Amino acid sequence: MFPIVSATLFLPLLGAALLVAWRGAPPRVAHGVGVAASGLSLLGSAWMWARGASGEGFSQVEEVAWIPSIGVAYRVGLDGISLPLVLMTTILFFLSFLFSASIRERPRSYVALFLLLETASIGVFVALDAILFYVFFEVTLVGMYFIIAGWGYEGRQRAALMFFLYTLLGSLPLLLAILGLYLASDPNTFDMRSYIADPPLSGLAAVLALIAMLVTFFVKIPVVPVHTWLPAAHVEAPTAGSVVLAGVLLKLGTYGLVRFALQMTPDAFRQLAVVVLVFGVFSALYGAFVALAQTDLKRLVAYTSVNHMGYVVVGVAVAAAATDPAVGALALDGAVLQMVSHGFVTGGLFFLVGMVQDRAHTREMGELGGLLRVTPVLGWAFVLAAFASLGLPGLAHFPAEFQIFLGTLQVYPVAAVVVLGIVVTAGLYLKAIQSAFMGEAPERWSKLGDLGPREVLTIAPVLALVVLIGVAPFLVLDVIHATTGALLP
Amino acid sequence: MIALLQGMGEGMQGMGGGQQMQMARDLALLAPEIAVLLTAVGALVLEMLRLPRVALPFTVIGLLVATGLTVPLLGSETPIFMDTFRVDALSVWAKLALLPATALCAVLAYPEVRDTDREGTVYALFSFTTIGALALAGAGDVMFLVLGVLLSSLGSFALVAYPRDDRATEAAMKYLVFGSVTGAVMIFGLTFWFGATGSTLLSELGGLEGAPLAAAFGLVAVLVGLGYKAAIAPFHFWAPDAYDGAPVSVAAFLSIVPKVGAIFGLSQVASDLPTGTGWPLIVAGLATLSMTYGNLAALAQENVVRLLAYSSIAQSGYFLLGVVALDRSNLALPSLVVFAAAYAAMNVGAFAVVLLAGRDLREFAGLGRSRPAAGAAMVVFLISLVGVPPLAGFVGKFLLFGAAIDAGFVWLAVVAILNSVLSLGVYLRIVVPMYQPAKRVPAPAKVASAVWTISLFATVAIGVAAQVLLGRVS
Repeated sequence: MFPIVSATLFLPLLGAALLVAWRGAPPRVAHGVGVAASGLSLLGSAWMWARGASGEGFSQVEEVAWIPSIGVAYRVGLDGISLPLVLMTTILFFLSFLFSASIRERPRSYVALFLLLETASIGVFVALDAILFYVFFEVTLVGMYFIIAGWGYEGRQRAALMFFLYTLLGSLPLLLAILGLYLASDPNTFDMRSYIADPPLSGLAAVLALIAMLVTFFVKIPVVPVHTWLPAAHVEAPTAGSVVLAGVLLKLGTYGLVRFALQMTPDAFRQLAVVVLVFGVFSALYGAFVALAQTDLKRLVAYTSVNHMGYVVVGVAVAAAATDPAVGALALDGAVLQMVSHGFVTGGLFFLVGMVQDRAHTREMGELGGLLRVTPVLGWAFVLAAFASLGLPGLAHFPAEFQIFLGTLQVYPVAAVVVLGIVVTAGLYLKAIQSAFMGEAPERWSKLGDLGPREVLTIAPVLALVVLIGVAPFLVLDVIHATTGALLP
Repeated sequence: MIALLQGMGEGMQGMGGGQQMQMARDLALLAPEIAVLLTAVGALVLEMLRLPRVALPFTVIGLLVATGLTVPLLGSETPIFMDTFRVDALSVWAKLALLPATALCAVLAYPEVRDTDREGTVYALFSFTTIGALALAGAGDVMFLVLGVLLSSLGSFALVAYPRDDRATEAAMKYLVFGSVTGAVMIFGLTFWFGATGSTLLSELGGLEGAPLAAAFGLVAVLVGLGYKAAIAPFHFWAPDAYDGAPVSVAAFLSIVPKVGAIFGLSQVASDLPTGTGWPLIVAGLATLSMTYGNLAALAQENVVRLLAYSSIAQSGYFLLGVVALDRSNLALPSLVVFAAAYAAMNVGAFAVVLLAGRDLREFAGLGRSRPAAGAAMVVFLISLVGVPPLAGFVGKFLLFGAAIDAGFVWLAVVAILNSVLSLGVYLRIVVPMYQPAKRVPAPAKVASAVWTISLFATVAIGVAAQVLLGRVS
């Protein structure tokens, strides 16, 4: 059978290698390579989606020996949790390349780094070997560091450094946990499937490994109080960087929370579920309230990410603690769907904020105004994405958050205070729409042009998917549930 | 060693056929060392014949031949010359890693010493010093430790002093004084082991079980002597000055060859020393100190050579994780070997880029723009030193951490991990200015470029194809 997972995974890297080797590539060609490689990768993931995940366990597995002496192998494969995330990743990267085609500053390096980042991001989701997972997890860090440091805004060096130090400090505990799992497994292996099928650690060792994993993934998600790298990185990153950061890289944290913490140390997670839940609830509320206080449109969207990721953490904690597997699966389905929804919704919002900034050269809501009249397509697109982000029924976040809250109510009724976050986000988005998009446009904005064809081509598919997931969530949920239903005891 | 002398004495008096056979076999197993010695002597002769241009290719070819002679020894595990020297995984891999590294350093020295009056001696000194490091790596007798330290030190002093300007002279002087004192302490302390066990053989160290005081004195002595060679804190004070005063190629050489030799020598001692002496905990303490001090001090450097000197002190600390775990984890030996190879590759590469760009941190500003290939290579070397996958440094560190955890030193692995984060701050101080707008374009340097290209290949290959090494260690 054609190794479609590996092909999808390495096509972007191949494109990057091509660009590195081809020194004099003109900008148009560089962007063309980016669009082509990520487009082929998107087709590959669509093919994987068509093949489908088999439900229980992993399917489409491809395996080659790598370092047999210590049980490391190249193992990739999919289940219902990773498959939607891979599809989302390839879609967002493809659109990011379309959007970035206007970049004129060192386009060859820019595209090559983004392609490297795409391979690493897909790799994290499809890796079935703990070392392979860690390798891709770290490479995303290096790629993103150079993107922020090289193409960001004013304070980019500082933000990039903070991002790198923070997440490297965060990811090294995971290495400890992986070593612990490796040394406890018998025979010693780095095969994630065997860790999941038969969790090697128990008792105190499992709790310590879980804490190490939680540190890693909490930094990546990010969960309050280790979220402080996020606003800085987002504000300074170039638009496509923000889209990928929010849309894809934050999911590495939540995905790891499910794949490693929940699946490899299930008993310890059950014991600590309340602690994780508290972090999730606090994060969701804190993110919402801090977003309320922002005047910079990009920072505002960045903080709503903290809020939405908080719901995912709540969902996973509820799934771990639920005694009734049906309830657990309900919450976990919601959490995974929330990852996908957040990718499209927040990815779309960052695209739109970038489009506003490209025109007005400011993101201060106080200075903007009346954009709905001046640039109606851009304005209404933002309104739609904002409504999706605040959880309006019929749009992508609603089914996900609804399931998470439903699960939470049955397991930890008190934690339902987290719903308050929805009210706050509704308020802050309405406020943002009112000040930046409604009313009379000041004289200086009257000359702004509306979206060009390339921008429409970027944003239209995102919004279409947001509506599609909102109206027909079962398209994704069925795939997810086939795995989660069999996963919880 | 004394046993060896006695044996030789007996041999003189009429050696039996069996003993002659034994001697021939032992010499054959020593073929790589002999080849290095001949290389050194040959280079010296060429220098005397006023043919320094021939000395460099001769040295490089000689070292590579010696490397080739080592390959058939892979997998052998045998003491030779009455147990005084060991042909085992440590000593064989020391040759496989250090001989090519020495060749690269000699090539790197060419642009620095070209057309000076004693060019050929520099290449000869590289080979002589390497023999000292190899003696340490295969030591089976405390006298070999002493011999190795002295042999590798004498050559190094001369190499550091070679430029003969004030800085080099001062650096060599510090290095010499420090070396003399630690060497004396080492010899003095080792007499306690000899007194307690009645033998200079490392394999007899088990006899120290009942003599805790003698064991402690000897242990301190070994740690002082080898710690000096390996630049482990707190015996590192000479390193930043010596590296900075010496030519860049010599700094690269000092940071790799004597260090790895000394660490492997320490491993030879540790594998025979009874655990009852408490050495694992003492070595773990030194590892903590070395990593933390090296990284913290590196954070404050404005001179890249000094920064890399402190970084190499920190890297010695990581090495010690493998030593600590030696008798309690199967991962310890592979981790030491892989990390040694990785460390040699990435450190030679980093110093080669320094030769291209300059010693001052400010001279790195814009290097990534003016020389994109060299800049990208430097990024790879530095993040490999941090331990970012899938590069060589990651595999090495990962195995070291695993060995430490396996041996029950989880806290030491945690310390090492925290230090890895700290070290990222150190290396990013070089990377960050590299991608600012370029101020000047460094002059093209073909030799340095060739060296970093080879190192780059090795750094990536050891990371991605670690199996090739690992499959042959254990």
